Amino acid sequence: MLWVDKYRPKTLDQAMVHQDIALNLKKLVAEQDCPHLLFYGPSGSGKKTLIMALLRQIFGPSAEKVKVENRNWKIDAGNRTIDLELTTLSSTNHVELSPSDVGFQDRYIVQEIIKEMAKNRPIDTKGKKGYKVLVLNEVDKLSREAQHSLRRTMEKYSASCRLILCCNSSSKVTEAIRSRCLNIRINAPSEEQIIKVLEFIGKKEGLQLPSGFAARIAEKSNRSLRRAILSFETCRVQQYPFTSKQAIPPMDWEEYISEIATDIMKEQSPKRLFQVRGKVYELLVNCIPPEIVLKRLLHELLKKLDAELKHEVCHWAAYYEHRMRLGQKAIFHIEAFVAKFMSIYKAFLIATFG
Amino acid sequence: MSDIRKWFMKAHDKGKGNGNGSASKPENAAPTNTEPVPGGQENSGRRKTSKYFPAEKQKAKVEQGTAELPAKRKAQNDSIEKPSPLKKPSRADVDDDFVLPKSKNSVDVTRSKKLKSVSGRAVAQKAVDVYDSDEDDAKDLESPVKSGGRGRGGRGASVGPASGRGRGGGRGGFMNFGERKDPPHKGEKDVPEGAPDCLAGLTFVISGTLDSLEREEAEDLIKRFGGRVTGSVSKKTNYLLCDEDIGGRKSSKAKELGTTFLTEDGLFDMIRASNHGKSHSKEESKKSAVNIATSPPKKSPQKVEVKKLSKSPSKSVSSAKQRGQPIQHSSLTWTEKYRPKVPNEITGNQSLVNQLHNWLAHWNEQFLGTGSKGKGKKQNDTGAKKAILLSGTPGIGKTTSAKLVSQMLGFQTIEVNASDSRGKADASISKGIGGSNANSIKELVSNEALSVNMDRSKHPKTVLIMDEVDGMSAGDRGGIADLIASIKISKIPIICICNDRYSQKLKSLVNYCLLLSFRKPTKQQMAKRLMQVANAEGLQVNEIALEELAERVNGDMRMALNQLQYMSLSTSVIKYDDIRQRLLTSSKDEDISPFTAVDKLFGFNGGKLRMDERIDLSMSDPDLVPLLVQENYINYRPSSIGKDDSGMKRMKSIARAAESIGDGDIINVQIRRYRQWQLSQTASLSSCIIPAALLHGQRETLEQGERNFNRFGGWLGKNSTMSKNYRLLEDFHVHVLASRESSSGRETLRLDYLTALLKRLTNPLRDKPKDEAVKEVVEFMNAYSISQEDFDTVVELSKFQGHLNPLEGIPTAVKAALTRAYNEGSKTRMVRAADLVTLPGIKKAPKKRIAAILEPSDDILGEENGDTLPENEENASDTENLEDTTNGEKLQAELQSLNSRGIEVQMELKGTGNSSAKKGLVGRGKGGKGSAEKKGGRGSGAGAKRKR
Repeated sequence: MLWVDKYRPKTLDQAMVHQDIALNLKKLVAEQDCPHLLFYGPSGSGKKTLIMALLRQIFGPSAEKVKVENRNWKIDAGNRTIDLELTTLSSTNHVELSPSDVGFQDRYIVQEIIKEMAKNRPIDTKGKKGYKVLVLNEVDKLSREAQHSLRRTMEKYSASCRLILCCNSSSKVTEAIRSRCLNIRINAPSEEQIIKVLEFIGKKEGLQLPSGFAARIAEKSNRSLRRAILSFETCRVQQYPFTSKQAIPPMDWEEYISEIATDIMKEQSPKRLFQVRGKVYELLVNCIPPEIVLKRLLHELLKKLDAELKHEVCHWAAYYEHRMRLGQKAIFHIEAFVAKFMSIYKAFLIATFG
Repeated sequence: MSDIRKWFMKAHDKGKGNGNGSASKPENAAPTNTEPVPGGQENSGRRKTSKYFPAEKQKAKVEQGTAELPAKRKAQNDSIEKPSPLKKPSRADVDDDFVLPKSKNSVDVTRSKKLKSVSGRAVAQKAVDVYDSDEDDAKDLESPVKSGGRGRGGRGASVGPASGRGRGGGRGGFMNFGERKDPPHKGEKDVPEGAPDCLAGLTFVISGTLDSLEREEAEDLIKRFGGRVTGSVSKKTNYLLCDEDIGGRKSSKAKELGTTFLTEDGLFDMIRASNHGKSHSKEESKKSAVNIATSPPKKSPQKVEVKKLSKSPSKSVSSAKQRGQPIQHSSLTWTEKYRPKVPNEITGNQSLVNQLHNWLAHWNEQFLGTGSKGKGKKQNDTGAKKAILLSGTPGIGKTTSAKLVSQMLGFQTIEVNASDSRGKADASISKGIGGSNANSIKELVSNEALSVNMDRSKHPKTVLIMDEVDGMSAGDRGGIADLIASIKISKIPIICICNDRYSQKLKSLVNYCLLLSFRKPTKQQMAKRLMQVANAEGLQVNEIALEELAERVNGDMRMALNQLQYMSLSTSVIKYDDIRQRLLTSSKDEDISPFTAVDKLFGFNGGKLRMDERIDLSMSDPDLVPLLVQENYINYRPSSIGKDDSGMKRMKSIARAAESIGDGDIINVQIRRYRQWQLSQTASLSSCIIPAALLHGQRETLEQGERNFNRFGGWLGKNSTMSKNYRLLEDFHVHVLASRESSSGRETLRLDYLTALLKRLTNPLRDKPKDEAVKEVVEFMNAYSISQEDFDTVVELSKFQGHLNPLEGIPTAVKAALTRAYNEGSKTRMVRAADLVTLPGIKKAPKKRIAAILEPSDDILGEENGDTLPENEENASDTENLEDTTNGEKLQAELQSLNSRGIEVQMELKGTGNSSAKKGLVGRGKGGKGSAEKKGGRGSGAGAKRKR
C-alpha cells in the first residue's frame, strides 16, 4: 500500500495538519446536527481526508465500509431519455459522487438523482442522526445550470440530507451555493508541516533521512502534502538508502510540459507550433486535464520569461483559460495561447535584439 | 439554338417590326460598354502589336476573307484571333449581310445554311449598323469586344479561377509542387491589361519560379488573353516562360527545339504592348485604315447600301427569318441532337468501344454457336464472359456506346434502367408474364432462349442493356443476385453499366462480367467535339475556352454540352472568361468534399472569393470543415502579408487565426448545447472564414516527408483515444476505490498517484530478482485491486512520445511470470468490484492487451509460453492454463524435430489460416524454426478454440 494511504489520518483526532479545523469539525458534529459544508482549498491539502474523518466521526466506523457502484440512470428529459452512468461510493449513511463526470449533462444528475437521494430519509432504528450525507466532489466543475438546480435541492431537503461539497476553488461555485453552506477553507500545508509529516513517516518506516532531504521534497511538492508523500515514496523505490543529493523525480506530465515550454522558448515558428500541438495532444490523450496543462505551461513559461512580458502573458493565459471553459475543444484554446505567446515573444525578441 | 431565343426573336418581330429582335440585348449592352472606352478608331491601332503574332499569314487570310465570305466566316469562327483583324471583317461582314439579300441572295442562303445561324452579336452589330453612321458603327463594333475584354480582365482576377484546380492541374512535378519557392517579388508588379486575345494562337510552357506571379496566376493570365498553356515543351510551343534557367527538362527540351525563352516581364510587355498599341496614336489607325483599304472596291458600295437599307428594314427582317429557320427545327437538347450516330463519333475510349464491338459481334458464336459442339472447350476460355460491365463517370458515353455498338451490329436493344423495377423475379416465369414488371429481365432472357431453340438462324438478335446497375437499391431486392443468375442462364448478351465499379454492391457481379472501364476523354478530345457542335450551332467559341470548359466539367461531355447550350442563349461569342465565370458560379452547386472546400478557402485565390462563396464552402460540411481548417491552418504561408522576413507577421496572423478558431469552438458550444442554430453562420465565419482570410496562400510542409495535402482533422482521432483512455482510467479508479485504500478522485489519481504507482509496479520488476519482484508487485496489485488491465492502463497513460517506454528494460520472461502469478492468485483474491470477479468456466472476451503484455521472450521457451498463454486464457481456467503450458513445452520439443520441414508447415498454416493465425503467431516469422514452433502454439490454441 502506498504510504499516502497508509498514513492517512482515519479520525479527526489523528490529524497532523489542520488540527484546528479538525477540532472545530468535531465540535460541530458533536451537536448532533451539522449544516451543509463546503470544503475548498488546493489539491493535496487534505480536504478529502478531513471529510472522510468527519464522516467517521458522525457515523462511526460504518462510514468506512463503502461499496462502489457503477450505476446507470435513465432520465426522462422532455421528449427524450438520457442514459447516464455514474460511479457512486456509498455506505449505509452516505453517498459520494462526482456529478461533473458526466460532462454537460450534469444538471440531470443534480435535478433527478441527487433529488431522489435527498428525498429518501434513511430509516434509523435508534432515532438519531436522522439524516444522510451526500458528498459531492468537484462542485467547481459543475455547470452553471447544475449549480442553480442544486441550490433548491439544498434548501428543500435539508431536513433529511446534508450536503458536503468539495472543490478546489470557491470562486467557481456560485454565490448562492456558497451562502447556503458553511465554508471551510483548507489551506495548503506549509513546508514545515510537510517536513514534519515526512519525518513522521520516515520514522515509522524506519528510514534514514539525510538532513535537508525532506525539505527538498517539500519544496518540490508545491505545498501539496499528497504529492510530497508520493514523491517521497517514489524516491524510496528508486534508491535506498537515500543520498543527500538524490534527484527527486518529477511527475511524468510535469516533465513533459516543461519540455514543451523549452520548445516554445527556443523557437517561435509555425513548425514549432505544430510540434507543440502534437505534444499537447499527447498530454490530453494521457488524461491530463487541459486546465492543468495550461496552468502548468504558464508556470513553466514564466520561469524563463523576461519580467516585462510576464504581466501580458499572464493576462492572455487567463483569457484563454476562460475561453477554454466556455468552449469544448480544449486543444484549440491551448494552441491559441501558444500561438499568442509565440507571437508576443517573437515580437519582443525582435524588438530587443533586432 | 433553343426555344427561348426563338421566342425572343418572335416577340421582337411583333413589337419592333424591324425584325432584328435579338439585337436588343447586345444593343443595350453596347452603349454602356462604350463609355469607358476611348475612341473606337484608335483601336485599330492594335494591329501594330502584331509583332507578337504569327500574324502575316492571318492578315492575309482576313484580307482574303473580305473577298470570299464563307472563308472569312470560318476564320472568325475558328478563333477570335485578334481584335484588330477581326474588326474589319466583322464590319465588312455586317455590310455584306445587308447587301446580300439584295444582290447575292443565293450566296447568303447557302451561307446561312452552312452556319445555321449567325451569332447574336453579329445580329446586334447589324442592328447598330442600321442606325449609326459608319464611324460609329466601327466604334460600336469594337467596343463590346474590347470592353468585354478589359472588364473581364479586371474582374476576372477578382473572381479568380477555382484554386483547387490549380493544385490538381496534373502537370509534371505535381508532387514537388509545394517545394517550389515563392515568387521573389510576389505581388509587387502590376499585372498589365492588354487587348483581348492578344496572345491567341500562342502556346506557352511555364517553368520554374516566376518573378512575381504564382504559377496559377501566370497560367490564368495567359489563358485570359487567349494563349494556351501546356505542360511540356513540344514543337508547337512558342514560348517558354521562365525567369531563371533552372536547367530542367523543360528548358533543355526548349533549347533543343529552339523555343523562344520569355521572361515574365517579357510577357507583361507583350500584353501591355497590345494595349498601348490600341491607346496610342492615330497614325497607326491610319495605317490600319490603309490596310483595310486593300479591299476598297467592295466596301464603298456596301456602305451606301447600308444607308439605303436602314430606310427599308423589311428586307433585313426577311434575312433574319431566313436565319431563324434553321433554328426552329432544333427543339432537341444538344445532348440529344449531337449524340454520336456512329461509334467512331464517340469521344475518347475508342479502343474500349472496339472491344465492346468485338465482344458483342462474337457473342453468338461463343455462347450459342458452340453450345452444341463442345461446351467444355469454350468454358476454359477465360476471356469469354457472358456479360460485360461498362464503368466510368457520368456523361462520358457509356450508354451511348452500348447502344450504338448494338445498333451497328443489328441487335435490338432492350434497356432496363433504374426507372424500372428490377427486383428479384419470381421463380416461376408464368407469373412474370402475368404482368409483373419485376420479371422483365427473366422474361427476356428465357424468351430469347425459346426463340433460339426454335430457329437459331433467324432469330431477331437482342441485347439487354442493364443501365445503372449500381443504382439497384432498396426497391430492387436481390437485384444483383438475380442479375447474376440471369447472366448464367442467359441466351442473349447482357451489357451492364455502372458508375462506380468498386461499389460494394457490385462485388459479386464483377466476377461474371468482362470489365471495361471508360476513361474520361482528354480535354483536347472534348474540345474538338465541342468545337464541332459549336460550329454547327453557329457559336463563336475559341478553342482555349472550350478546353477550359472541358476541364471544368471534369470530363463530362453531357454536362459540357448542356453548359454550352445554356450559354448560347445569352451570347453567341463565348470566351475564356465567360466560361470560367459561369462555371465558377455553377460549380458551387456541386457536392464538394471538405478537403476541396478547405483547399479553395486557403488557396492562393482564397482572398478573392466572395463572402457568400466562402460561407457556402465552409457550410458544405459545418462539422468537418472547421476541423480541417484547424488541423491545417498552420501550414499555410499567407500571401496577403507581403514580405515577412522574420516570420513575425505570419506568427501574428496565426495567433489571430487560432483565436478565431477558438471563437468558433465557443460558438459551437452555444449552438449544440443551447440549440442556438441561428449562430451557425457565425460559427463558420469564425472557425473557417476568418482563419482562411488571414492565412490563405501557399501550403508548405512542416514535417519531413509529409505530403503536401491537407491532413484530416486530428481532433477526432485524438478525442476518441482520449475518451477511451478516460474510460480505462475510470475502470482503474473504480478498482482503486473498491480497494477502500484510497478515496481520491480520478484526476488526483492520474496527476499525483500515477507516477508513484508506476514506479511501484515496474521498478521492482526491473531491479529485483524475478520471483521476489513478481511476488511484491502482485501483492501491491492486490492491495489496490489493480487488475491486469489496470496495469496496462497505468503503463499506457504514462507513455509519452519521445520518452522511454515505461516497460523498457523489463525482461519478457518476468512479464510472463507476473501474469501467471497474478492469474494464480485470482482464486484467493478478495474481490470487491463486480467486474473483477472471475468465475471458472466463464470465458472472458479475448483481450488484446493481455496478449500485448505477454510478448515473446528472448528464449524459445518463453515464446512458446507466451504464445500459448493468451490463447488458453480465453477458454480455460487457471489449472488448465498450467497444463497447457506444459503441453506446449512438450509440443515444442516434438516440433524441434520438424524444423527441417519448417517451411512446409508454414505453407500449411497459411492455407488454413484462421483468426488465431492472424493474432501474430504466424506474423512473428523467425524463419523455419520459428514457424515450426508456431504450429505448436497454434495447435493447442486451435484445439482449445474448438471447445468453445
